Amino acid sequence: MDESLSNRSVLFRYCRIAAVLVVLFSSFSVHAQKFIGTRLEHLPADYNLSLLEVEVVAESEDWVSFEQLVPNLGMGEGVEWMRLTLDPMTENGKLIEIQNAGIDDLTCFMVCDGKIIASYPGGIMNTGGDGHQFGTYPSFPVPLVECNELHALFRMQSNKPMIVPLRIAGPRKVLEDAHQRDVLFALYAGVMLVMLLYNLFLFLSIGDRSYLEYVLFIFAVGGTQLVLNGYGFIFGADQLPWLNLRLTHLFGVFSGLTTIVFVRNFLRLSRYVPWLNKLLNVYFLFYLLALLLAVVGRLEWSYQLINFCAAGTFLIIPGTIITMRKGYSPAKYFLLAFTVFIFAVVIFVLKDAGVIPYNAWTFYALPMGSAIEVVVLSLALASRINQLKRESVQAREEQLRVSQLNEQMVREQNSVLEERVAKRTSALESANSNIQNTLDELQSAQQQLVQSEKLASIGQLTAGIAHELNNPINFVASSAQSLRRDFEDLTQVIEKVKGMDPMDPGLKEEMIQLKEMFGSLDIEFTQREIEELLNGIEDGTKRTSEIVKGLRIFSRMDGDNFTMAQINELLESTLIVLRSNLKDHAVVEADMGADLPLVSCQPGRLNQVFMNIITNASQSMEDSGLAVEERIVRISSKTVESIGQSWIEVRIKDHGVGMTEAVKAQIFDPFFTTKAVGEGTGLGLSIVMGILSDHNAEVDVDTEEGVGTEFIIRFPL
Amino acid sequence: MINVLYLDDELHNLTAFRAAFRRDFHVHVTTEPTEAVRILREQPIEVIISDQKMPTLSGVEFFELIMPDFPDPIRMLLTGHADIDAVIDAINKGQIYKYIAKPWNESELKAMVNEAAMLFHERKAVSDQGAVLLHRMQEARTMALMIQRATGQASGLDADQTAEINRHAAEINRLLAD
Repeated sequence: MDESLSNRSVLFRYCRIAAVLVVLFSSFSVHAQKFIGTRLEHLPADYNLSLLEVEVVAESEDWVSFEQLVPNLGMGEGVEWMRLTLDPMTENGKLIEIQNAGIDDLTCFMVCDGKIIASYPGGIMNTGGDGHQFGTYPSFPVPLVECNELHALFRMQSNKPMIVPLRIAGPRKVLEDAHQRDVLFALYAGVMLVMLLYNLFLFLSIGDRSYLEYVLFIFAVGGTQLVLNGYGFIFGADQLPWLNLRLTHLFGVFSGLTTIVFVRNFLRLSRYVPWLNKLLNVYFLFYLLALLLAVVGRLEWSYQLINFCAAGTFLIIPGTIITMRKGYSPAKYFLLAFTVFIFAVVIFVLKDAGVIPYNAWTFYALPMGSAIEVVVLSLALASRINQLKRESVQAREEQLRVSQLNEQMVREQNSVLEERVAKRTSALESANSNIQNTLDELQSAQQQLVQSEKLASIGQLTAGIAHELNNPINFVASSAQSLRRDFEDLTQVIEKVKGMDPMDPGLKEEMIQLKEMFGSLDIEFTQREIEELLNGIEDGTKRTSEIVKGLRIFSRMDGDNFTMAQINELLESTLIVLRSNLKDHAVVEADMGADLPLVSCQPGRLNQVFMNIITNASQSMEDSGLAVEERIVRISSKTVESIGQSWIEVRIKDHGVGMTEAVKAQIFDPFFTTKAVGEGTGLGLSIVMGILSDHNAEVDVDTEEGVGTEFIIRFPL
Repeated sequence: MINVLYLDDELHNLTAFRAAFRRDFHVHVTTEPTEAVRILREQPIEVIISDQKMPTLSGVEFFELIMPDFPDPIRMLLTGHADIDAVIDAINKGQIYKYIAKPWNESELKAMVNEAAMLFHERKAVSDQGAVLLHRMQEARTMALMIQRATGQASGLDADQTAEINRHAAEINRLLAD
């Protein structure tokens, strides 16, 4: 079944019930009650009324008339006295009725000509067992006596306001009215009970807490109305005087508390009107205080406090309006319900204050108002349930929407992230490629530097080698030309000898000529010269080929590949290449170990190492002040055993200027040089270090300033 | 025949040089600078050729060494090593006449030696003429003095005639000094 349809049907049902109530209520006679407050008299305030005996009161002459039709004697511990002068002729046999069921202690004395002829107990304290009352209001019969003066004296005491709507009416009339009232209140009670049970049933089936709160609220409000109108006995209170005295208070507190709880939950005050929510907490505490006061017997204070708190009900109106404004539609019904109720309360209070007449409409304003309130609140509750459903549907839809939104956001976020990652990746890649480029450039710069160092040392060598080669080439070439001329001289002699004939008789003459030729050509000298020239040519070619061989070893094309090579051979080739460079600067003393094993090495690069160190050694002695013969570079090589391993150790030692510790620490750093600007690249030893570390060789530098330096290089075998 | 002295630490170069030029020049060779000085002292050397790169001293240094005692022989530097700074320095200081690169070209070298010898002889001739002039000038001066003295004794000469004679004598002196 459709939810909203069922709600609507509930609404219709309530409307029907309300309509029936109104029709029923209208069918009762609604004529004005005739209260006779102005006929009542009271004693002035200067009497100590509590101590007065009825006899004394009966004889008192100081009575003062009331001005209101419905007098209000206040409340408290104090006893009030009241006198009603009856007309013994017309009013005997009738009933005096005080339409207030809330007076705690009420006694009516009938005084005939100064004599007390009857007393009737009444009020809350005296209910039970006494059959004098018609209905819920205290009523007292006017006795059928012959008197000149007939008075009814009322002794009253109550912790609730002693409002005295008093009338004199025939028993039938009183009974009729009481009956009518009973019926109305039964109707009222019925309506409340129906609502209560209905909502209880709803609570049990739906389980919504506000239904239970509403049930309690109905019980409290309905009960309050019944108690106020003297139907407290239906709760069995008439048998319990202690409870009976406090029943109004208790129901007042109870309805206050349930109202607060119900309103707070229904209007969602914590969400919509937080300040009112907090204020209601204060009222809640006040109600609890009123409850405490009632329990301990401070009934008057309790009543005042309850009244004060009940005035706070007005605050619900602005709270409701605020809630409504905030779009909470069930608040509309709520507003209507409470407006009706408060309107009823206003009417009730104004009636009590005598501002508006005391009639059935005003009298029944409160129960009617509360009945309407309860009914409308039922509607409000249904609307609230609908609202909740709508909200939960909305919430589900919202949740769905939010989750879809989230999903979409996640998707977007993902794509954004992917984009970012891609950007970042490409940035990184480009950075990477930049770094790679820089690295390449650096490497190429390094290679260029290494190359230029190589070229520098090659350039340094070239001049020396050119000289080395020039000398042999010079004398070989020159000797060859000279040899040709010497050969020509010899040829002359040979030709002469060839032309000689042993049979020729002029042989002797020719021999003499030959001898002369020998002399003129200085053949003996020529022979010696030829020998010398040939020696020179041989020596020249040998030296040339030696240099070329040394150069070849020195700068082997496969020099950068690891091959097995003889260290001594490398040292010697380096020395050959360096010979002319060293010749005028230093003397080399070599002590090469015999039978050294071959070492896996890069011969070309090792030559660069040896050349660099030997050249440095020679240069370090330039400024030492030593004569050339004393500038000795000592080069040795041998096999050594150390740390369980075999090494080939090469030592290159000079007696040069040496180095300080600070200089020694930096010699392998690139671009560090002690030479003047333009004389050295500062790369020599750093390249040496690089080459040696490629060979896993160990390098020790033993140096002392002014004494000399020794490089000790160990190649692992 | 031209007397040529060749100094080189490389013996084979000396041999080759002698073999190449002994038919044209009177060749003196040695590996030792001291021996070279001795030869200079004993022989009428006209052209000196020295290798630049030698272990004990360089060619330029050798030339510097002998310059004060033997300024006349024409000096030529022979080197296979392009020690250009030393060469420039030597040329600027007037220590060498020619620079010869190894390996030498025989005919070029021969021509250079001949040129150098010619230069030597020209200079020698100039120098000889100078000596003759000096001698004559001295004679003239003596004569002038004698004339002066004789004239003074005669004291017949007037002041103008004396000044005229003195002027001539001074003129002769100036020319001789040049």
